[in-house]
Amino acid sequence: MRELLVVREHIKHFYAKFEVYVTPLLKFILAFVALVMIKNNVGYFPRLNSMAIVLIIALMCSFLPQNFIVFFSAAFSVLHLYKLSYEVAIVAVCVYLLLFLMYLRFSPRDTIVVVLTPVCFALNIPYLMPLVAGLVGTPTSIVSVCCGAIVYYLLSFISGNAGSMLALGEDGSLAKLRYVIDGMMDHKEMLTMLLAISVTVIVVYLIRRLSIDYAWSFAIGIGALMNIVLLLLGDVVYYTNVSIFGVFFGSIVAVLLAMVLQFFVFDVDYSRTEKVQFEDDDYYYYVKAVPKNKAGDIGKKAKKAVVKPKIDDDEDEDEDDDDEDDDVRIVRRTQTATRMQTTPRTTQGSVRPVAGSTRTPVSRPQSTANRQTVRPTTATNATRHSSSSSTTTPQ
Amino acid sequence: MLNEKKVILMTKMASYEDTEAKKNGAIGRYFRSDYIGFQVLKAIISATIACMIVGGMFILYDLENILENLYEMDLLLIAKRALFIYIVVVVVYALISYAVYSHRYSRARRKQKIYAHYLKQLGVMYDKKK
Repeated sequence: MRELLVVREHIKHFYAKFEVYVTPLLKFILAFVALVMIKNNVGYFPRLNSMAIVLIIALMCSFLPQNFIVFFSAAFSVLHLYKLSYEVAIVAVCVYLLLFLMYLRFSPRDTIVVVLTPVCFALNIPYLMPLVAGLVGTPTSIVSVCCGAIVYYLLSFISGNAGSMLALGEDGSLAKLRYVIDGMMDHKEMLTMLLAISVTVIVVYLIRRLSIDYAWSFAIGIGALMNIVLLLLGDVVYYTNVSIFGVFFGSIVAVLLAMVLQFFVFDVDYSRTEKVQFEDDDYYYYVKAVPKNKAGDIGKKAKKAVVKPKIDDDEDEDEDDDDEDDDVRIVRRTQTATRMQTTPRTTQGSVRPVAGSTRTPVSRPQSTANRQTVRPTTATNATRHSSSSSTTTPQ
Repeated sequence: MLNEKKVILMTKMASYEDTEAKKNGAIGRYFRSDYIGFQVLKAIISATIACMIVGGMFILYDLENILENLYEMDLLLIAKRALFIYIVVVVVYALISYAVYSHRYSRARRKQKIYAHYLKQLGVMYDKKK
């Protein structure tokens, strides 16, 4: 475990150090994978199937804002579909426009999910995105993931029925259009998947926000189970013909990948959980502080960097200056992920405004050993307690 | 010498400036009503275009049937229904937009205030130093 933590720290340091190069590289990989998958599924335009064009576009995407990946992917797919049939391309353009006008305009950041979801579908791990969206997103992420799923099923339906549409001939323009629309509206597998995605995202989101130990692990497990149950129920009710083995295997892989994400985003040690309570002028705070798992080696390296303190002979200075000039100390701190529940305090008969049920504290690193003064909640004097006291090593 | 509090404060400010300052600054230039009104107007235009796309698709989908029965149809009734659906969609979408952009405006203003508070704190620290 310790080695894993060290590896994680190294990865984080590497990313922080070479972010300028790593981020474009990741964007390049994502754009390349997306374009190649479009080419493999609906590659009806021979000129666009050239690997050189795909590489050039992916390279452009690596330096442009990430929304351009979505734009180029959409443009690529529309051009391919246009070569198949312009009626199909019209349907695709309409779907993309509706997605953009009705939702993606609200949250441009989520557009990347619309690319990632079809990529996950194509890699046979479609159950990953609902888990990820529930873990790191909000309930509105449902729409993003569903948009990605709709795009995937649209392209998949067209590539699967291209022969039938071509058989309708050039005279059957309206028939082709109707064929695609009917096919999408009656796509039971897609509708079941959209329902499963929505429920899974909500379940994962609600569970991971609970103030219980191992909330993220429970969220991943229960979310994956919920997804499996809904897909199997959909199969029973609508005969969607989902592969039971595929669902189970895909879910297991999705759970494993979600746990990797958890390791990087929310890795805490519940055995060292601390519960404290204190107060300030307005609130009583009931704080549950869960320390993050950190690799010790990295901390030890930091400890070696000793800075010699300046010796200040002037003793008349204000006490506050001690904090500023003389407190140059190497402090090894354990960062804590805290969740604070606040209760408004009634002062002199007046009720103070109620804060949100959950308050995220200012991200100030603290020592878990000696964090702050703990006061009983019955205290009457409204005293602001400093939450910044920490273990220090005087030089 | 290093001043830990100042370093923390400046790190927070730099982080804010790198991520949200530009966006929040753009929002903060508007009055609340102007910003939300402008965004809702854009939402109404978007919803109108979306309705036109869906309507166009519907007409194309059923074009043969429409052309065959054009003179037998109660066009006024169809237009009334279409208008009703359009109004419902636009109103719902505008309300959602209103809620979303009200929240965004409040959040941007709050973060700007926090940033101003940090600036003030930093100013106080520099004054003390002098």
